[in-house]
Formats: sequence, structure tokens, C-alpha cells
Amino acid sequence: MASQDLIVSSPPHLREKGLMGSAMRDVAIALIPLIAVSIGFFRLYAVVNLAVAVVTAILCELVMRAIMGKKANIGDFSAIVTGLLLALLLPPAVPLWWVVIGVVIAVAIVKELMGGLGSNLFNPALFGFATLMIMARVPLQVSYNLGSIDGVTTATPLTFIGVGSGPLSGFRPGYWDLFFGHAGGALGEVSVLAILVGAAYLIYKGHVTWQIPASILGTCFVLSAILGENPLYFILAGGLMLGAFFMATDWVTSPDNRWAQIVYGVLIGVLVVVIRLYAAPVGAVAFSILIGNAFAPLLDRMFVRKKFGEVKAVA
Amino acid sequence: MELKTFRGGIHPPYQKEATANRATVEISLPAEVVIPMQQHVGAPDSPTVSVGDRVEAGQKIGTSEAFISAPVHASVSGTVKAIEDRPDFTGALVQSVVITPDPGQPSKWTDKRDTSNLSADQIRDIAKEAGLVGLGGAAFPTYVKLSPPEGKPIDTVIINGCECEPFLTCDHRLMLERTDDLIAGLKLMMKAVGAQRGYIGVEANKMDAADTLTAKLAGEAGIDVSILEVKYPEGAEKMLIDAITGRRVPPGKLPSEVGVLVQNVGTAVALQDAASTGKPVIDRVITVTGPGIKEPKNMLVKVGTSIEHLIEQCGGFAGTPGKVIMGGPMTGWAQKDLTAAVVKGTSGVVVFDSASVDVEEEQRCVGCDKCLDACPMFLMPNFIVKYAKVGKWEMADKFGVNDCFECGCCSYVCPSGISHIAYVRKAKAELTAAEKK
Ligand code: SF4
Ligand code: SF4
Repeated sequence: MASQDLIVSSPPHLREKGLMGSAMRDVAIALIPLIAVSIGFFRLYAVVNLAVAVVTAILCELVMRAIMGKKANIGDFSAIVTGLLLALLLPPAVPLWWVVIGVVIAVAIVKELMGGLGSNLFNPALFGFATLMIMARVPLQVSYNLGSIDGVTTATPLTFIGVGSGPLSGFRPGYWDLFFGHAGGALGEVSVLAILVGAAYLIYKGHVTWQIPASILGTCFVLSAILGENPLYFILAGGLMLGAFFMATDWVTSPDNRWAQIVYGVLIGVLVVVIRLYAAPVGAVAFSILIGNAFAPLLDRMFVRKKFGEVKAVA
Repeated sequence: MELKTFRGGIHPPYQKEATANRATVEISLPAEVVIPMQQHVGAPDSPTVSVGDRVEAGQKIGTSEAFISAPVHASVSGTVKAIEDRPDFTGALVQSVVITPDPGQPSKWTDKRDTSNLSADQIRDIAKEAGLVGLGGAAFPTYVKLSPPEGKPIDTVIINGCECEPFLTCDHRLMLERTDDLIAGLKLMMKAVGAQRGYIGVEANKMDAADTLTAKLAGEAGIDVSILEVKYPEGAEKMLIDAITGRRVPPGKLPSEVGVLVQNVGTAVALQDAASTGKPVIDRVITVTGPGIKEPKNMLVKVGTSIEHLIEQCGGFAGTPGKVIMGGPMTGWAQKDLTAAVVKGTSGVVVFDSASVDVEEEQRCVGCDKCLDACPMFLMPNFIVKYAKVGKWEMADKFGVNDCFECGCCSYVCPSGISHIAYVRKAKAELTAAEKK
């Protein structure tokens, strides 16, 4: 009997199949409502930006993997998701080469050069975006204001944060605009509803837990209210929803322990409020999450999960 | 009906259809039987026979003086051919007695006596003399478990009929085919430890077994069938106790801490056999199955039979064999050849043909936390691996590596294909070595 070719490996000998691909594919699926609304508002701008970002992301991954002599892994969707997220972070009228640079930084440098998925300390899309912010702060600010389709300038809703109930407050978009769709700011800031639909899907699929988004949003709500802002407007406007559900929850760069996740969420929430109110509203969410990323490993070391039998059932 | 269960765990494909409805069959004798002197947790035995000796089936051929140990018996009548080191199913070299069976085997252990008047001490002695160990795979000497420590009274005995490992059906068959003996065995155990409550835990995918047991138990006070959710590892000792009684065994402690004794279905039947007929543990029911086996079967097998013989008895391989596993697919041992012998704790042989084995390259952990949710011990398997990879054993310890019972749920759900158990075993070995220093 032929027996010399038997495979010997440690248990278990059964594995759930194709998990990585399906998880990242689910993230891409969860972004579909947002992408759809975004294309509805920005038409060609959105289509072109998203397409350029995704193609660049795939090329970056292929090239970097080839250079480093590793097997390409487009099927795991992680490069594609990074490309999509970066495009969603940028305003519609941004020069295309910025999209390209942002994606190259995100995928080629943050993700691949740092050892591939799993080794990166920072969220690739956010890091790419933050680098662009630093490189081209003023022009990026301006292009945020070039929103709507017919070329009419629409200010990013973030402009109205920090004005309290002063004379300008009458001009800001209403909650329902923010919720259902409003053509101002970045591609991914058009509709809170679309984000929540996608987030519900991710939570249902078990890829995202409530701890991180809930603690970020809760902290922002409470703290902005204390500081005299309109808390509902504060959490609905800008990229906070997108950041809380799709970026802060990134597997690799967030803590793994549930308690650490809550502390991480509170930390990010505090940073968002402070940066938005006392520094610059645009990019506040991105920088806050990146700072949170830096603390994630430390937070994970501070908590040890309660083992089975150590406590009474916490079900 | 609300099914009982624990928190965590996974739902692998069960794939038990191939053998669930096949009655247990006897198989032909192998050309030799190889009986390892260590088939149990504890001290190894020393052979009490020499090369050339004639032995009778059921004769004791290896013993030890140690408290935690179990004697071994000749599984066939025949001649001792050799006493030498042979690799067991884990690959470790173990001193073994090799016996050439006689062509005709005597029929023994047919007279049954009543066991209802045995005393607790007599039951413990019977378990010890029969070489009885946990037949679910743990292979812990049963009489030790039947001797509860001072000051830790046991009020509940649970028979584990979950058989939560995919593919395996031998316990399922025992529950159907040996129902009376199973119940009698449970009663003996309850008497030995002085427990008033007995449960037989059965997963909801074996309702035929549950119904048969329930019917037999009608009017029986103190013993109940408990129907459990079909989930892996429902049959793990601590999970099962939690599911049925709601008691949680603290980390590092034994079930006696919460007043419970758990025994496998096969162990209960074997105890009844030993008590009623005097038959020691020399054979057991195992399932030989998987996509790489031509005719999957449940079979009664003599201890010491090689895997090769079992596969022949099933019509050989279907396709090119890719992986041969001794035990279930979640916790079993992959074999490098087919020479290893069935021991008391062997519950099955599962064969995957080369097309259905997937060899995935291990990727880096992506922090998806799926292993955290799956771990029934509430550990953080990703952190254990992370620290084991860089040799920080004390950190692996802090994250509970010694509480890991190697169920494999974490690896099952891991999108990065990480083999946590390999790291867990390494870390445990390092920590034990460090402790000894
Ligand atoms: S860490 Fe251990 S106990 Fe937890 S799921 Fe993994 S193998 Fe099972
Ligand atoms: S399941 Fe695998 S990839 Fe996910 S956190 Fe655990 S070890 Fe990491």
C-alpha cells in the first residue's frame, strides 16, 4: 500500500475554507450602498476616482509581490478594499494623480513593504490619506468644497462644526440631508444611511463587533455635547461614521481584546472631538484613528481575557 | 425545544452519514497485534511476559505500581513474538508486546452475572483490573477518576454521548446497540462515587439514540437524557458540564472541583462488560471512514490491530490517500505510515484522499478575532501564537496557554490558516521544562 506520500500536519485537519477571501469580499460588499449613493451624487467624478484607486491598488499589489517574490493574492480582496476606502476618503474633484499617490502609499508601502497583510501597524488607506493631507493640505481643503455635480460649490458640512449656534448655523445641512445623502465633502461622506446599511451587514456577518464603533460614537456624542456642540450633527457630519464602522474596526490595526477595543474607541472619540474643535475639522477622524492604531498593541497587552470558569457567566 | 450548550465553539460539517446507520461489525484477525505498554495517561507498564510465551486473550501482560496507571492485557490468544519499541500513533517509540494470534480464538466472557450488588470498592477494583481508561480518547485511568479526592463529594455523573468530532459514529452505535449495558455502566459509576444524579448527554443529531435511551430510562429516578446543541466541542469535559449543569470548572481544576464526573459512552459500556463478565479492555468499537475509504464501517477491533489491517477490512483506499488520521479530524494524529496500532483510546481512523486534503500556507495573523469568539476556554489564541513565535513563553502563559485543551476551534476558523495547536504544544513543553529547572 502506498503510504510514503501521506501528509503529516498538526490538528485540526478540518478548516473552514476560503475565509480570508470571503471576509474581505464582505467588506467590499458592505461598501456597495455607499458607493452607489456616492456615484448618484458625484457621477463621473466618483466612478473615475474609485476605478483609478482600485486599479492602482491591484497593480501595486501585483508589482510589489513580484518584486518580493511572493505569490499574488488579489483574491483576498484586501488590496481592493484599501483602494476603495482611499477613494471614499477623498473629495470628488481631487486631481487623479493624488488618488494614485495615495493608493501607492497605502498598498505598496504601508501594506506590502511592511511585510504584507497582518504586519502593518497603521490602517493603509488612512495612512495614504493622511500623507496626502500633509503633502497638500491647502489644495485638498479647497477641493473638498468642490462638491456637487453642476459645479456649484458646496461646502463640506464640517465647516459648520465649531460654529455652535452662531449666525452661520442656519446654513448648515440638516440631519436628514446628512443621513440620506448630501453632496458635500468626500465621496464616502455622502450618506450616513448607506454606511449604516453596510455596517449592519458586517456586524451580521461577524466581521465587525459593536465595541469599537459604539465607543467612538458614544464618546464623540457625549464629549461634543459637553463642549457645547450639537452632538447629533457632530456624529453625523464628515467622515466619522465611515471611520467608526469601516476603518477603526480594521482587523489588523485595532486591538483584539474586547475591553481594549472599548478603551481604543474612547481614545479615538476624544481625539476626534479635540482635533475637530481645536485644530482642523477635515482629516480629524483619520488622524485620530491613526493615533489609535499606534496605541492598539499597547492596549492589547494591558488586558487579559477572563478565562472559562474564572468568572460567573457573563453571557 | 431549547438545546443545552456552552459559549464559543464551531459548526464544522459533520459528515457522519456514511457510517451512522451501519451496525458494528466484527473483522478478521490481523497477522500480529502490537500492544503498547503505555496506552494511558500516567506511568508506563512493564511487560510481565517474555518472548516465546503463550498468552491467553485477556491475560495481563503489562503492569505498573504507580497510582496513575492502567494494566494492559493480551487482546488475543497466541504467542509472544517480540518485545520491542514500536512507534505508537503519535510517532513516539513505546515498548510494545507483539503477539502472533492463534488461528482459532476461544469464545470467552459469555456468562453474565448480576452487577447490582457490587460495592463501590469492588467497582473501583474491577475498573482497575480491567485496565479501563477513558475510551473517548483522553485515556485517563478510570479507577482514579472513580476515587474522588477527600472533601470533594461528587453528586453528578455525566455520560458523554456527544461524539462532537466530525465523521465518528462509534459512540452513536454503542448507544443504539448497547443501550442496556450503557445504562448499567452509568449506574456502576454513580455507585462508585456516591452520586445521586446521572445524565447522558447526546447531541441533537442523534435523536434515535436519545429516544432509545429515554425509552429505556422510563421510570428510572435520577437519570436523564440531556439533549445538546450540535456544536463542536460539545463533548469536551468542561463544556459538557457547563452545558448540562451550568457549573464551570475553574481554570486548572478537575471536574471533581464542581462535584461532577464525566465518562465517555464506551467507558461505561466497558465497565459494565468488565463487571458482568470479567472481560478486560482488549477490544473497542471504532469508526473507519472518510472520503478516502472505500467502504466506511463501524467495527469491533482488537487492541493492537494496525491501521493497515483496518483499511484492508474496509475495501482499501478510495483514490490516492492524502492524509490518514488516527482519531477524529479535529484532534486526531496524522500518520506518516499505516503501522500504528489501535489503542484503548482510539475512536476512529479518518482518511482523506489527496484531492480532499488542502495544504494551505500559514499567513500572518490579521487580527480578525474569529479565534477569540470560537475558543470555548475564552482564551486569545492569536496572542498565544504571537508570543510563542518569539519565544516569550511567560507571556503565552499569561494568555492562558496551559488552559488550552487543544480542541482546534481557533485554527478551524482562522482565515490565515494558522496552526495554533503546534504553537500551543511547543509553549506548553517549554513552560514545563522551565518549571522543572
Ligand atoms: S486556544 Fe486551545 S482551547 Fe482555545 S480554541 Fe484554540 S485549541 Fe481550543
Ligand atoms: S483567527 Fe487567525 S487571523 Fe484571526 S485573529 Fe485568530 S489567529 Fe489571527
